[in-house]
Amino acid sequence: MRTLEIIAIIFMLIATGVTFGLYQINFQGFTHLTNYSKTPAYDLSGTRLYSNGTLLLNVTRTAGPDTYGGFIVLVQILYPNGTVLYQWTGQQLGMLPQSDIINEFPLHPAKPIHIGNYGVGILAPLGQNFVVKLQVPFHINPGTYIVRVYDADGQYEAYGTEFQVTVTVS
Amino acid sequence: MAQVTIETTQKFLPVLRITLGWMFFSAFVRRVINVPDKLNPQSSLYVGGKILTFLPHAWSPVKGILIWVLENPTLLYDFLITFTALEAIFGLMMILGLFTRLSGFGLAMLAWGMGPAAGWLGSTCVDEWQIASVEGAAALMFMLTGSRWLSIDQILYSKYPDGIKIGKIRIPLW
Repeated sequence: MRTLEIIAIIFMLIATGVTFGLYQINFQGFTHLTNYSKTPAYDLSGTRLYSNGTLLLNVTRTAGPDTYGGFIVLVQILYPNGTVLYQWTGQQLGMLPQSDIINEFPLHPAKPIHIGNYGVGILAPLGQNFVVKLQVPFHINPGTYIVRVYDADGQYEAYGTEFQVTVTVS
Repeated sequence: MAQVTIETTQKFLPVLRITLGWMFFSAFVRRVINVPDKLNPQSSLYVGGKILTFLPHAWSPVKGILIWVLENPTLLYDFLITFTALEAIFGLMMILGLFTRLSGFGLAMLAWGMGPAAGWLGSTCVDEWQIASVEGAAALMFMLTGSRWLSIDQILYSKYPDGIKIGKIRIPLW
């Protein structure tokens, strides 16, 4: 009987360990509870800006609901002091040709969304990593700039991280 | 037939067993009978897209495997077919109470295997973690209890109470 009880306790500990482990690692449930499925978030690592005005906006959708959105409705290039150098609104982003958006994965591609001539923005499915080719219509002076995107909820921040990246034009 | 005594606890196990089996078997039913487009790579309903949604917070070695699979559509398709088939087979075995211990082990691995990949998802109630941990623990429990009531294992046990033996080792399939 002793053996049976020891086996039962070992398996109880295994199952409970998996449950608690997944809870802590996936949601930090025992420390600072975080659910990454609540709000869309974007990572702009890999974004590049060139002096001829070409912006290769590299977006990874890193959080939010798995079945819907997010939608990027504003892309900004800012001076380090926060003044806007140039921006693209949802109207412009939604009217981009699909060929200007290069998706890493063939499934669930990011795409421009428009209703007739009304541009809405760029649909960014969860997990997709894509590059949007954008063109500023003038030369950009060497220096440091901030590239930022806004979600359709009006925010450029979620889970304590801003949807922006610092780029250098040489 | 040998005289068999069934413990009281065994009689209450089917309360959970059929629901647990259906959680997996119904995944097969949804993809093969209800909405066959879920297994059609050309369709927007293709479940392969789900794997993409796991990426952002999947654990690091698993994430690499997921990216590799997503970049090889044939591999992705084979993986989905295999996973769906395993869910169907082990799920049905659990419902019927056939080789419950083996099925319990298989289902525990399938359920817990989702944890490092999709475990972070769940906009309503930390859903995928709940699925993985409850189904995993329940399936593991059936691996230990087997099934001695309202099950095919019960019939097998009454006919062959010694189970399968290879040499002197008894394989506890029922």
